[in-house]
This record gives sequence, structure tokens and C-alpha cells, in this order.
Amino acid sequence: MLLELKDVTVPTFDKKHIIVEDIYFGVKEGSIHAIIGPNGSGKSSLAYAIMGLPSYEVSKGKIFFNGKDITDLGVTERAKLGITLAWQEPARIDGLSVLKYLSLGMKDKSNIKEQAVEALKIVNLSPDRYIDRRIDESLSGGERKRIELAATIAMRPKLVMLDEPDSGLDMIVIEDFLNIFNKIRKLDMTILLITHREDIGMVADYGTLLWQGKSMITDKFPEVMLRFCAKAGLKEFCKRTLFQDDNACFGEDYIDRIFREEEEGRS
Amino acid sequence: MSDEPYPEEILESIENYNIDINNFIPGHGKGAKLLLNFNKISGLEEIEGVILKGREIENGIVADIIIKEGSVIEDPVHLCFGVNKQSGIQQIFPRIIAEDNTEVTIRAHCSFPNADGLIHKMFGHFYIGNNCKFTYNETHYHGEKSGALVAPVSYMYIGENSIYENNFNLTQGTPGKVKILLDIYAMKNSVIRSNVKAFGKGIGDSIRIRDSVFLEGENARSVIKMKAAAKDGGEVLMYGITEGNSPRCNGHVECQEIVLGKGSTCRARPFIRAIDPTSTVSHEASLGRFPQKWLDELQAKGLSEEEATDILIEAMLKED
Repeated sequence: MLLELKDVTVPTFDKKHIIVEDIYFGVKEGSIHAIIGPNGSGKSSLAYAIMGLPSYEVSKGKIFFNGKDITDLGVTERAKLGITLAWQEPARIDGLSVLKYLSLGMKDKSNIKEQAVEALKIVNLSPDRYIDRRIDESLSGGERKRIELAATIAMRPKLVMLDEPDSGLDMIVIEDFLNIFNKIRKLDMTILLITHREDIGMVADYGTLLWQGKSMITDKFPEVMLRFCAKAGLKEFCKRTLFQDDNACFGEDYIDRIFREEEEGRS
Repeated sequence: MSDEPYPEEILESIENYNIDINNFIPGHGKGAKLLLNFNKISGLEEIEGVILKGREIENGIVADIIIKEGSVIEDPVHLCFGVNKQSGIQQIFPRIIAEDNTEVTIRAHCSFPNADGLIHKMFGHFYIGNNCKFTYNETHYHGEKSGALVAPVSYMYIGENSIYENNFNLTQGTPGKVKILLDIYAMKNSVIRSNVKAFGKGIGDSIRIRDSVFLEGENARSVIKMKAAAKDGGEVLMYGITEGNSPRCNGHVECQEIVLGKGSTCRARPFIRAIDPTSTVSHEASLGRFPQKWLDELQAKGLSEEEATDILIEAMLKED
């Protein structure tokens, strides 16, 4: 496993409440692994804790990366080990050019421009149009997200966490993003995808369901998605959108059984 | 006029602001230029539409710079006030006049690379006529020893329908003691934009800047932006003053200051006053550190907190 979380608990900054509790899952190297769950289930907070942000300290459990215990490492050390995060709403720092921004995390500083051009092409931004632009309000939300993705690609991390990469984007753009994820994967990067959308998650090989701050299941993604639908009581939605006849992952009997089990569990 | 070549150290420090020095070495470049080496004039070149006169006095010079009526000056006029001695007094008394219907950019470079007990003073008068577009870009470098005392005072009259833009940059090296006073009187329909950037890097750096705009003419408009950072004991105090004294005038003052390390101080005092009921004057000030999220984002790219902060300061001081 590239990343392993063992019974990880993350409280709020003031330690008065628990955000996620006893989280246990692993991410295989080279895979796309989605963390799914409804709004408020703790997905982004968990990503911040994996990144080591100071406001999301792990109070219990351990995080391992490449077999090394990184629980007590700071954000910079984790980034240097090869972990990074593409933010849901990345900041606009007027005064920083796209080229400078992309260069910040590059390991090889000898051919910065070539690397930046390559990263921009991967996220389908024209280098000529963007490389000298500033990271300011003139960029749309979609453009800013692509530049964030390009910056993470330019780092060549081992693990890139994408926090709600679809938020605020229209469907055409989302389709484009899914293609970009596959390009990133071919660069030997492992992707941990944070999303609450099933269509985004379907690019994933594996998934973990977070529900009310707890990890309910880690498995191949369709299985996790099925459990998510069962927990949310979305049976028709599940049958209609995820497991249609021509693209069925499971038989209808199996879907019925999972929903029944979930129903019984609740009662 | 001195025949000595212009000191390399001064030229290098100007290049560090990404300015092409070939444009203002005497005999090179197209623009008009006035170069001062301590208290000696070492270069003075006029071009069509620009009158430049200078006279050496004890401890400095008196200079007249006149842009003739109707002239559109394509290449910037360069003023270079350099001192490569450690100490001494350099005093500049410029009178800058842009006659009606003119367009010009003046680039002033004040460079004191070895300053250690050096005093530079300026007492400038600017008269910008009607329908002018006048840009004054000023870059400073005061060496690395916090050893300069720099005290420029300027009074500016901006005529009707004119646009005046002031860009002051003191972000490289160690500023030393800096006291800047700028009073701008804006007439009818004029537009004033002033951007001031300064970075105090150590205990010997104290920067005090007072930018004042008096909106005296109907519909005059102004924006003063002051950005500063103080680090490791540095001190920055910025006064941004705007008075709305005429109908439908509109002024805004913005101060942004970042303070880093123990003993550093940043103070911002926006002072606004409106005496005409149809005028609008506003201010905005922020002091402190960068948002944690910005630091997190840069640290997640492998930068240390200090490196991330330096990048953010650099970015802040590059903003328009």
C-alpha cells in the first residue's frame, strides 16, 4: 500500500468535537481511489489530515506512507515525501505568475519552463495563453482548478489528493477532467479522489465510503458506491444511474439484498 | 559635468529591478536622461520635447525637467540619483513641469549600494498641466547595511482631465531610515493612482510614508494603494490620507501590511475626510500575517513556512 490509515481520528481544532473517527483504509500504488460520502461526512477534513495541515492534527491512530509513519510530520515534510493536495478552492495570489506558481513544487529546477508547458498541456490549457498570466481574479474557477492540477502534476508527487475537483464545474468540463485524471495516472501518480458525485467516482478503481465521520467500507468502487446508495436510501437512483442492464456491475438480486441488509441494520 | 564613468555598482542595483540600464547610460538609449553621481552631474541628455537643466550646488543639485506643451514622449525619461560612497549628503531640488496635453513616463532610480551613514534628501515640485498623462516610477535601493537616511518630500499639482500615476518601489536591500512625504492636489476630472511598496527587513529599517491626496476639483478620483512588509525587527508606518473637497469626487485608500518575526511593527493609518456632501471617500486596511490557507497551499508544494512567506511577500509586492 502506498498510503495506509490505521484507526485515524481527527478532532476539530479546539478538540471539542470529532470530525472523523477510527478511519481505516489503504490506497494501492498506481490506483485511483475515491473517498465518497455525503456533505459533512469529513472527506475534505480527512484529506487535510493526510496532508498534515496544522488545524487537522491526528489525535489517535497512525498514517503510513510508503511504509513510513508520517503521523507526526508537518505538511512540508509530507510534501517532500511525495504527497500533495489539489485544493477545492485554491487561492488567487495576485502577483504570482502561473509559471512561478507551477515552479514552486518542481524537484528539478533546471528546465522550469519546459516542465510548466508540459503540465499546462496535460490539463488542456494553452501554455502560450497562460504561462505568463497571474493567479488573480481574472481566472475563472475552472481555469484556476486546472492551474492547481498543473501545479500538482509539475511536482511529480507519488500521491495526489484531488479535493472535490468537480465542484463548480459544468458537465462538459467535468468530462474533460475525467480524461485528465487518466493522463495523471499514466505519469505514475496515485490519485486519492475526494468527491460526493458518483459520476466522478466511477473513474476510480477503489473507494472508501465515509459516513458520519466513519469509514464504512473500502472495496472496488462499484461496491462502495452501491453501499453509499443503500445508506442514503437511493435504490431507484442506484438502479437507474449506476447499474443499468448494459453496464451492470451487479445483479438486481444483489442490489436488493444490500439494500435490505442496510434497512435491517437501521431498524 | 563629470567625465567619470557611472559606477557599476549603482547600475547593477538598478538592473536588479529588471530595468534595462542600457536605456539610460549616457550616449545610449533613446530617452532623455539626467544622471547624478553623488553630487556631480555625470550625464544629461535632452530630446525633442523635453528640456532638462541641472546645476550643481553644495551637497546636491537643482534640476528643471520640462515636458513641452503637446509633446508625447515615447521613451521614458530617466533620472538616476546614485551614490556609491558610504556616507555624505545628497540633496536634490527638482522642479518637474508637464505642460498641457503631454504624455510622459519618468523613471527615477535612487541607488545607494554602500550606504552607511548616507543622507539623501529631495524636495520636489511637480506641476502637471491639463489633459496630461504623467507616470512617475521610482525605484530605490539603499544597500544591505540599513545605513541610509532617505527623506523625499514632493508637492504635486495635477491639472484638469489629467491622469497621474505614481509607482514607488523599495523592496530590495535594506531600506534604512526612510521618511517620505507626498502631497497631491487633484483638479477637476483628474485621476490619481498611487502605488507604494516597501519592505523593512531588519531592526535598522524604519519606513514612514505619508501619501496625501486632496481632491480639489469636481469629479476628481484617486486610489492610493500602500503595501508593506516588516520582518525581523523592521518597522513600517503608512499614512494614507485622502480629502474629498469637491463635488462628486471619489477617493479610496488601501493599506495592506504583513508583519513577520518578533519585534517587527507595521502600522497603517488611513485618514479620510469629506467636506462635500456629494463626495465619496473610503479606506481599507489590513495588518498581520498571510491567511493560513495560503501558507498551507504553498507548503503542500514542499515549501517551508519561511519560503512560503517569502513567496507571498514577493507576490504581494508585485501586485498592481
